[in-house]
Order: sequence, then structure tokens, then C-alpha cells
Amino acid sequence: MKTGNGNAGLVMPKKMFLFAIPAISIYFTFWVFPIFQLFHYSFTNFNGVNRNYRFIGLRNYIILMKEGTLTSVISNTMIYAAVLVIMSNIIALVLAALLNTNIRERAIYRTAAYFPTLFSAIVIGFVWSYVYMPGEGMIANLMNIMGLDGSGFNVLASFKYALYAIINVDIWKHIGTTMIIYLAGLQTIDSNLLEAAVIDGCTGWQMFRFIKLPLISATITINVILTVINGLKAYDYVFIMTNGGPGKSTNTLMYTVYKLAFTEQLMGKSAALSIVAFILIVAVTITMLIYMNKVEL
Amino acid sequence: MRNGGRVFISNILVRIFLILYCILTLAPLITVFSSSLRTIGNHRSHLDLFVEFSLESYAAAYNKMDFPQVLLNSLVTTGSSLVLIVLFGSAASYPISRIKSKFGKFLYYFFISGLVIPAQMTIIPVAQMISGLKIPSTRFTPMIMFITCSMPFTTFLYTGFIKSVPVEIEEAAYIDGAGLLRRFSQMVFPLLKPATVSVIITQGIWIWNDYFFPMVFISKQEQYSLPVAMLQFLGDRENPTQWNVLFASCFLCALPLVIMFAIFQKQFITGVAAGAIKG
Repeated sequence: MKTGNGNAGLVMPKKMFLFAIPAISIYFTFWVFPIFQLFHYSFTNFNGVNRNYRFIGLRNYIILMKEGTLTSVISNTMIYAAVLVIMSNIIALVLAALLNTNIRERAIYRTAAYFPTLFSAIVIGFVWSYVYMPGEGMIANLMNIMGLDGSGFNVLASFKYALYAIINVDIWKHIGTTMIIYLAGLQTIDSNLLEAAVIDGCTGWQMFRFIKLPLISATITINVILTVINGLKAYDYVFIMTNGGPGKSTNTLMYTVYKLAFTEQLMGKSAALSIVAFILIVAVTITMLIYMNKVEL
Repeated sequence: MRNGGRVFISNILVRIFLILYCILTLAPLITVFSSSLRTIGNHRSHLDLFVEFSLESYAAAYNKMDFPQVLLNSLVTTGSSLVLIVLFGSAASYPISRIKSKFGKFLYYFFISGLVIPAQMTIIPVAQMISGLKIPSTRFTPMIMFITCSMPFTTFLYTGFIKSVPVEIEEAAYIDGAGLLRRFSQMVFPLLKPATVSVIITQGIWIWNDYFFPMVFISKQEQYSLPVAMLQFLGDRENPTQWNVLFASCFLCALPLVIMFAIFQKQFITGVAAGAIKG
């Protein structure tokens, strides 16, 4: 039976849109409108208190560029996102593939891998501050036990490695979620297909590479996009563990936005950096989406 | 026979790998948990696991955080945010998924475009607006941002689920004279239970653990939520003599969610997956 258009209009009248009013109003007031205001602030010298701020054109953007803040912050954020995406997706996919076999106690492993995601970023920040602590920290202590010299270990103070130490914490925390999504994707594969492959003499690796992987390509896209967005938004562990240091080596976009606004009271400059972040995130996400839809596994 | 042997060996290798991975993952948490059970003054190497069982550190953390008060604040704000998120989100998705018009499509993209924008970004104008509108700083103020930031994911998920509810059952109800409100609340919404579970789990974990919005909007200590109460330990992070109390406070902070996870483990796993797979 076909429903005519007039009929659909009767069953689903336009006044249904009234249902959306609460969501639209709160979302517009506290999300869409603020983004436009952010554009406005980014061209002013607003400091958050004095309402007599002036329009200063592109000066905020130019200062950000001249100081080198822009380049260092963007490169830190891109490294963060790239390492996070690659490492957490590979580890999570391997874990999910192993857990998707019929191991009896797999629920235990799954729970263990998922467990860290339950903790607040602030708790995770404290726990890993202890792990990385020089002298009495977990890694330094383990090095001593294994006969290595742990006294020089201070990764969070290293210009070279502090950023990676923080990314490691983020990977550790988010593998659980990514793994659960891969596992769900693998479980949607029709078992008849796999049985047919076994009869045709498919080895375990061939099965994974040529049958399972292409079939979960949608899941891979989702996970990659989700982790890219998470990486570009990185803020928590910089705030809790390093405050952007040593030097500027762990300053990420979102942390710098926060610091400029709330510690240095430079709202205009912070807004300008937000706009850069906004453009970067939208550009990267769209590029990734287009690219991921083209790639054939 | 030979094949069976190979499967047996590969099974063992898989197990060894998984066990090693779990140990590596849980090692920091286990070490911290073991130290949280020590007396405050016990500064033996933290790697000597479970040498002492005392609740002294927990008692100190409990008092320093004002645990009952902050727990109550967390429960109230997370709970009421979730109720409003489910209500607003599902209601908004109903017309978006049911009416095929340009406006409906526009609304869909209007909401999901928020998925990529970091919440920290809008905080400057929002903080200005909240003080400009004279919205008082209470324990409920962060809820505004929790609800706002949840709208993109929630409408995205509900729209996908409502599309899979057959229109025919609503047409039948229409002929029987059921109004829009009744059709939505009594027929469509109950069929969206998987989506509702997913929204509650994913957004619930995020809101419960978020310290950013409460940190910006709340100034009085008696209004702190659990994660914000943790911020006062920030200085103890580099002071090993305070670590046992710090570690106890970490586990006190995590305890409510760990208990929830133990009870609703199945819902957690399916809820997290449903959000991604449905898209």
C-alpha cells in the first residue's frame, strides 16, 4: 500500500516541529550563537572584564602567527591526533580481532580493557602523574628493580618526549571504547560467509585481511573519525599533567585557548585561536571523511 | 589431529598476549589501588603491593572531599541532565526523522554539525553570556552546557533509530484518533529503548566525569561535583607524602561509576557500541 503525500501530511503534520523547540532554543542560545560571538571577539581586544573593547582587525591573528604560537600549537595538536589515531586504532582492532574468537573467558579481558574508560580524566591524570613521576614514580621504580638507572627518568620534563607521554595516557584511556566499537562491528559479520571461506581453504590471516576488514570498513571510518576529533580536541592531560610545559612543548590548541582566556585574560586572542581551531577541525574531519570513503580495503 | 594441535597452540598464544595486555593496562590502577589501602604515613615503595589494609587514607580523602555532599551534587546534576537530554533529544528527533522536508534536513545538519566542535571553544562567549544574563552560579549552572553539548550526538542517534520504527504503526494509531503527543510518548518512544540506553550510558559517563564546565561555572565548595572536588588535590600530585590520600580520593571518585558498571555491564557495552554502529 502506498501512502500519498497528502496523507503523510495529515499523519505527520508540520506542527510536529514544535517538538524540536526546547532542543533548538538551548542549542542555538548556548552553541550556535556563541560561535558567532567568538568570531566577533576574535577581532577585538576584549579582556573579559572591560566592556569598552575596541575593534582591532586582524591583529590577534597576526600576533598569534608572529609569536610562533600558531605553528607550535597546531603542530603539537596534529602530532597528538595522528599518533592517537594510528596507535589506538591498531591496538584496539588487534584486541577486538583476538577477542572475537571463541575464547571462553573473553568477557574478563574485555572488561579489563574497557575498565580505564570509566575513570574521570582528572583521576587518570593523577594516576599517570604518579606513573611518570621521577624518583618515586612507578616507571622509575620499575627501572630500578630491573637494574636500570631510574634516577634520570623524568619524561614529563623532557622537551622531546613529554607530548608523547601524554598521548600515551590518552591512548590507554580510549582503547576500551574503540575496541568495543570494533568488536560490535566484527560481530555483525554473517557467520555463513566465514564458514564458506573456511571451506574454500582461507587461512586465519587471509580471512581477517580480505573478508573481515573490508566488511567492517564503515566501523573503521567511524572509529578513525571519532579518534581524530578526540585528538584535535585534546585538552585534559595537558591541563592536569604538564600545563603545556616544559616550555611550549605540550601546548595543544584547546589547552592554549583555555589558558589565553582564563589565565592570561586575553579573550580576543583566545577567540582568534578558537576560530583557527574551528577551521582546522572542520577541514581535517571533512578531508578524512572524503578520503576514508574513497579508500578500498 | 595436526590441525587441532595448531589451533591449541595459537589459542595459548592469544591468551598469553591478552593476559599481558590486561596486566599492562591495569598495572597503574592496581598499584594505585594497593597504595590507597595503606595508612597515610606508610611510604614504602608503592610497588610492594597490598602490604597493608587500612581505611585511614580513605577516611582522610572522604573528609577532605566532603564526599557525601559532592556525591549528592554529582548524582543530582548528572541525573537531571540525563532526563532533560533524553526528553529534548528524542522529541527534537521525532519531526526531523518523520517529516521529509528541506527544513527537517536543515535541522538535522544544524544539530550534527556540533559533533566536531570542541566544547571548550564556546566557553568564553558562554561564560560572558551567563554573567550578562545574570544566571546565578549554582550547582545546576553546568547542566545548561551538559544538555547543550549532548544535543548533537543525541539527535543524531535518535534520528537514526526513529527512522527504523515503521510509519505504518503510527498511521494505524492516527486512524484510531491518537494525537501526536500520545503517538510519540506511548508508541514511538518505548521502541527507542536501545537508543535511550546508549544516550544515558555515553552521555552519563561523560557528564559524571566532566570537570571542565563545573570548574568554570561553580565557585562555592559545597556545590562542587565529584571530579571538581578532585581538583583541590592538584598540589598533592607532586608531593609523595600525600600520595596515599590522593590515591584513595581517586578511587572514591571512581567508585560510583565502577559500581554502576558492575551492575549494568551489558548495557554499558551495548550502549557504547550502539552509538557508533547505528551511524
